[in-house]
Amino acid sequence: MATSRRPWRLDGRLNPSLMWGAAVLVFMILVSTIGPLLLRDKWARVGAVEPNSPPTGQYVLGTDSQGRDVFTTTILAIPATLRLGLIAGVISVVFGLVLGLVAGFFGGAADWLIRTFSDVLMAIPALAFMILIVSRMNRPNIVIVAVIVGFLSWSGTARGIRAMVLTIRERSYTAVARANGETEAEVLFREVMPNLLPLMLASFISAVTMGIYTVMALEVLGLGNNAIPTLGMMIFWSQRFSSVLRGMWWWWSPPIVAIGLIFIGLYLLSSGLDRFISPAIPQFRRRSRSTLALDPAPVGTLVLATDAQAVLQVKNLHVVYETPGGAVRAVSDVSFTLAPGERMGLIGESGSGKTTMATAVMRLSRPPARIVSGQILLSGRDLLAMSEDELRKLRLKELAFMPQAAMNSLNPVVRVGPQIKDAIEVHEAKLTGQVLDARVADILTRVGLRPEIASRFPHQLSGGMKQRVAIAIAIVLNPKIIIADEPTSALDVVVQQQVMGTLSRLQRELGAAVLLIGHDMGLIAQFADTIGVLYAGRLVERGRVSDVLDNPLHPYTRMLIDSLPTLDAKRELTGISGLPPALANLPPGCAFHPRCPFVHDRCRREVPAIQSSASGRDVACHLYPQHTALPPIHHIDGLATLPQTNGAAAGPASLSGASSASVGAAQPQREVRP
Amino acid sequence: MLRYIGQRFLQYLLIIFIANSLTFLLPRIIPGDPIREALQVKAAAAGRQNVDIQAWVAAYTEKFGFDQPLWKQYVNFWRDLLRLDFGYSLFDYPATVMSKISAAIPWTLGFMSLAIVIAFIVGTTLGALLGWPNSPQILQSLVPVLMVISAIPFYLFGLALIYIFGVELRLLPTGGGADPTLIMRWDLKTIGNLLEHAILPALALVLYGIGSWALGMRATMVTVLGEDYITFAQAKGLPDRYIFARYGVRNALLPQVTGLAISFGLILGSGVLIESIFNYPGIGSLIFSAINSKDYFVINGTVAIMVFTASTALLIVDILYPLIDPRIRVGK
Repeated sequence: MATSRRPWRLDGRLNPSLMWGAAVLVFMILVSTIGPLLLRDKWARVGAVEPNSPPTGQYVLGTDSQGRDVFTTTILAIPATLRLGLIAGVISVVFGLVLGLVAGFFGGAADWLIRTFSDVLMAIPALAFMILIVSRMNRPNIVIVAVIVGFLSWSGTARGIRAMVLTIRERSYTAVARANGETEAEVLFREVMPNLLPLMLASFISAVTMGIYTVMALEVLGLGNNAIPTLGMMIFWSQRFSSVLRGMWWWWSPPIVAIGLIFIGLYLLSSGLDRFISPAIPQFRRRSRSTLALDPAPVGTLVLATDAQAVLQVKNLHVVYETPGGAVRAVSDVSFTLAPGERMGLIGESGSGKTTMATAVMRLSRPPARIVSGQILLSGRDLLAMSEDELRKLRLKELAFMPQAAMNSLNPVVRVGPQIKDAIEVHEAKLTGQVLDARVADILTRVGLRPEIASRFPHQLSGGMKQRVAIAIAIVLNPKIIIADEPTSALDVVVQQQVMGTLSRLQRELGAAVLLIGHDMGLIAQFADTIGVLYAGRLVERGRVSDVLDNPLHPYTRMLIDSLPTLDAKRELTGISGLPPALANLPPGCAFHPRCPFVHDRCRREVPAIQSSASGRDVACHLYPQHTALPPIHHIDGLATLPQTNGAAAGPASLSGASSASVGAAQPQREVRP
Repeated sequence: MLRYIGQRFLQYLLIIFIANSLTFLLPRIIPGDPIREALQVKAAAAGRQNVDIQAWVAAYTEKFGFDQPLWKQYVNFWRDLLRLDFGYSLFDYPATVMSKISAAIPWTLGFMSLAIVIAFIVGTTLGALLGWPNSPQILQSLVPVLMVISAIPFYLFGLALIYIFGVELRLLPTGGGADPTLIMRWDLKTIGNLLEHAILPALALVLYGIGSWALGMRATMVTVLGEDYITFAQAKGLPDRYIFARYGVRNALLPQVTGLAISFGLILGSGVLIESIFNYPGIGSLIFSAINSKDYFVINGTVAIMVFTASTALLIVDILYPLIDPRIRVGK
């Protein structure tokens, strides 16, 4: 569901379809209410005026062959047409709502019956069916026709509402309400109805469209009522008197324009509502060219591997998300280096900018994400300064990417083998089919899969197997660097261990440098040589794994470690109070200061710069260099506090243990210290 | 898999059964005496005022079996439907309904398939390009135009097209399926003449079709391009065009192809209005003239065949869908 309950706004902007659609329809409604008051309705009767007159000063849009003024008739026909649509719409929605609710709530036989009948209605071409019914009516009553159209078009509404009721029933708050002793009916009205409103509005609009469309089609076919002048009847009359062939454009075109306006209004309204109801549908967005004025960023002096030997150097990388409310910094001033064969772990909570950084290092950032400044040096060449084509040639061959969700990272409609082959083929000179097949079989074996997997579709593989295929693709060209973005986060713990084992073995064989990104401190600690801690888009600490774990310098790192369970010592787990800050609304100064037990004035004003120590430790915290190590943190009721400050300083609403802040707590069976 | 097909098949048989039974039942529960009404029109058309309508009606009622009990009529209805025998035309007796339908079907199938295929190809290609961020920006200005043309009922374009190309410019015929003087033979002249007449009605459908196919494809394409496999394909260093075709379009095409199959299923019914506007001698014009002459047997027969083809086509689409989407193949 959309976060905003105001359908006329979409992520802070006006919803253009909805506004235009509403504007057009309001205009048509105004015309149909005010118009008749200003016009002589006598002129819309047969024989009222001189027939067949082209537009003149007196008859603005001329007259028809039966002596009606076309302008007057058109204006009067608009409300008649809208009314028919309204009747069909109301009936369809009420009927669909009742049947959908019954099917969704009672299930069983009622559900089966309603679904079968709605399938029947969907299998029947509505117009053909209406012809069958209406052709048997003598002087068809067009209002009754609209009613029948309403009864025939409920199936879409009913289906949508049934599906929604089923979803909502499963949601926890409905269960809570029922546990509180409310009856089904009470739950239905209190909890379910408000959620159905937007869907019903959309159904209503589509039923109105359907109603106007079908009634008009019947009228054009000669199944209308001559006594009720609607837009459809106007077209029928103009056809009957061959107005097109006689060149009487003023007769047939005004009703078409009026109908066109009504349908365009309805169409825009419904597509605007669609965007609101399912905001997950990504809207096409033009690439924004706006630039972001950067604050003078503190200059870091982070050197771990010397620049000369590094395979990958990231220097002062800034990535923003362009949102309608302005640019949001997702990665700020991140710098690090990766030595050949180094395994670096990068840890952070969700929303700390991990994945944004991983894709930025591959220069795969997609709008709205945008790399603002910085350098990414691959053996000295700056990725950000390269042409797309140069970059494309380096990808996979030197710089490979292991995606976060392997289940969605393979093309679902292509077999596994071709997906490995296309990667090889694009980077290497023409290879014969046999050589390619052998390469595919070889790489699959190396990641612990049977070569026959090549002929399977991704959906035929388990999650672990898909992850191995993704690893196979990443290493197939022996890259120098592998960026692994939470490669095992979607797998269960046992499979996770196996996959990490494979990755570890392959890394040793290849000698590639790996940047392993994740939120699981335990997993990263087991794998990595060095570790970096990301908080709110900034690298706050970096060092060798053993140093960082035994002797963390940044308060955040300390608290992350304390939130992890250990096997050797049973103790109270501690969380980090508060929540990670929203990137759109970062606190001034050090982003961690609202949650930090050591907060002091300078932290609220000034962003701490990265400071490096001689022993290869880096930290961005104002405690240094005054302190040489992190002072002890005292835990009271699972909250970290300083002995001299009171608990309130630690921040607002405390969420211990269960909070997203306790990184790694979801895998209690893993030991932290290797 | 077989079990899945079997279940779907039974379900669809039930749906087809109910849908077609409704086409039998509905005309019979609406009050009125269709035969009397039709014969009155017929008598008026023949210029005869003092016919013994009573005797005429009785004779026809017996002839068409309307004096039989309802269950027997129902059994006959199914027997006739399966043998594609819809009895005689009331207005043009003794012409059979089926002879009229068979004469009309090739016209409808011809110009409609032409229109559907062209609209599908052009619209889908356009939609794929519109959903691809690397295509020229100028294309994006087409979107509002496509929205407008897909919102307006397409037969209304027909009137404008006749006026512009037939009346003002006099480039193309204003209606009909072929020149009345044309002798049908397998030669270029015949084909040219047939095409000439099919262009305008087909164009009205194509314009509308391009709009809706393009908007549908664009929406799916945008969704597909947001998928992780596109990012991973880029990370593999594949060229953009290859990703576009093999990863983007190949996936976004699935719902489009289903839509195409459904359009072919609805082919007999969806041209009704455009045909009656262009006086094109297909199923639509048949139904239009039957409505005017109150020839209920022709109406019932035509509607029955439309419902039958549409519901059967849906069944076929549903059963064949696994062939184009490998994900469904083992599922369920």
